[in-house]
Amino acid sequence: MKKILTIVRYILIAICLIFFLFPVYWLVITAFKPSDEWFTMPPRFFPTKPTLANFFGAKETEVFGGTTGSIENIFPYLRNSIVVGVSVALIGTVISALAAYAIARYRVGGPFLAEWIISIRMLPPIVSAVPLYVIFTKLRLINTWWALILSHLVIVVPLGVWLLISFFREIPREIDEAAYVDGATPFQAFFYVVLPLSAPGLAAVAVLSLIQSWGEFLLALVLTNDARAQTLPIFLGRYITGWRVAWGPLSAAGIVTMLPVVVFALVAQRYLIRGLTSER
Amino acid sequence: MVLPVLALFLAMTIYPFGFMIWASFRDYDLSKSAETHFIGLSNYFQIFRDSTAIESMKFTAKLLSIAVPVELVLGVLIAFLIRGVKGEKIIRSSLLIPMMIPPAVSGVAWKMLYNFAFGPVNWFLSLFGVPKISWLGDPFYAQLGIIIIDVWQWTPFIFLMIYAGLQSIPQDLIDAARVDGADWGRVFLHVEFPLLRPLILVALVLRIIDCLKTFDIVFMTTWGGPGSATHTYSFYIYKVGISFGWNIGYASALSVLLLIVAIVLVNVVFRLVRMRQQLGFGGEE
Repeated sequence: MKKILTIVRYILIAICLIFFLFPVYWLVITAFKPSDEWFTMPPRFFPTKPTLANFFGAKETEVFGGTTGSIENIFPYLRNSIVVGVSVALIGTVISALAAYAIARYRVGGPFLAEWIISIRMLPPIVSAVPLYVIFTKLRLINTWWALILSHLVIVVPLGVWLLISFFREIPREIDEAAYVDGATPFQAFFYVVLPLSAPGLAAVAVLSLIQSWGEFLLALVLTNDARAQTLPIFLGRYITGWRVAWGPLSAAGIVTMLPVVVFALVAQRYLIRGLTSER
Repeated sequence: MVLPVLALFLAMTIYPFGFMIWASFRDYDLSKSAETHFIGLSNYFQIFRDSTAIESMKFTAKLLSIAVPVELVLGVLIAFLIRGVKGEKIIRSSLLIPMMIPPAVSGVAWKMLYNFAFGPVNWFLSLFGVPKISWLGDPFYAQLGIIIIDVWQWTPFIFLMIYAGLQSIPQDLIDAARVDGADWGRVFLHVEFPLLRPLILVALVLRIIDCLKTFDIVFMTTWGGPGSATHTYSFYIYKVGISFGWNIGYASALSVLLLIVAIVLVNVVFRLVRMRQQLGFGGEE
């Protein structure tokens, strides 16, 4: 009886794994399929002639309106994603740390300020997307990196502040006080004593910020309109219309979009678990 | 030290929200003219006469009432299913992958899977004699299709929270119950579930809040169609305000309504997670 239960359990786990991993598998193998294997029935579950053409571009993919093919076309979007993501990660971590320290140590603004900052994270982005579009148009910031960096910061900073408040609170107050006794100003205490001690927390916030900015879709869609500032997810969105999509190159672009985040996220998994269920 | 955050949020949230409320009382339509007039509440009245708006509310409600409970039950079941099996860590990490993938990429993957003529989903169903389904072309199946993607993408999130919660339950509590003769079901009902309940509630409300934001998946797969079957509320605002209409006034009125719902929900979450205590403000318990 117990043996049967164990077998049933493993079968259920296998079904779960297939359900949750198959779409990813499909995307990955399609990226390595030559164009004649994209549209077959029954579908090809293993590419018989794996190719890298989808990544580097080839004549045959152009038949399908495949301007998506080739790294050269993805490059501007990849560059935009990297510039925006890294800036958001750096700036976001710095201002989250400053605010979190002030709130954790000096209770600046009281519970209201802290709750207000965190609540912003939970509001639907579409709510601010329309007014931001109008305002950024007036400021001539539409289709610039700054439009994305500023709007992504609003998404990223609340979570950063939340995580870092709990991080700073775990560092004993006595350590700051010892620094004051030695004649340090509050800012010096923060910069030379508290920050180095909270390096893992800062790293986690930076990684999480990068991940969020990298995958953000709606604001990037509304606030940019060409290769000068559009990010990778929008690149994918542009090429998915039409009835015969160049699946191979699009999947290859999907891998480029997905890989950095998945790798980062798996590395930061521990912090993720902690951030979501902190102090429990 | 809080000045940078204050400056950022005042510029990026308070000002836009003020603008939004102001615009929601005006006939602000970029496709018509630059002149705007105060028109009172008529943008708000329009919502109730707009069948697409009502339909988008209905579909969002469907997502909330079908996808979220399914995710919750599945997430809890999976957390218990994999606890203590061989290769637990690898299985856990693998199951988390969908929630890490940018939804735009998920959209590409699922659009291929759902393909009418060549998609693996229809091929798989054909093994059981099911005739081909037009997953993204038929209103009923398109809605079901979006719900399935949502379940695929977000069950891992619930699973992660419950799993983390299970880890924090002291093992001796469970052992003690076992010694007292409680079977598997009783341990769950009387020991584990009560300890997990606050976490399950938080996961539930966070999912409800995120469900209101559903946008990317719809954009990538159905574009709201067929007809307006798979418009989520967020997607409809995007269409009214940006992609089709440029009707900033009406889009703002729709947004104000969504904002009110979101603010109510956020307050519920804060009560549930005892936000003040977590942040270290008062409340001895």
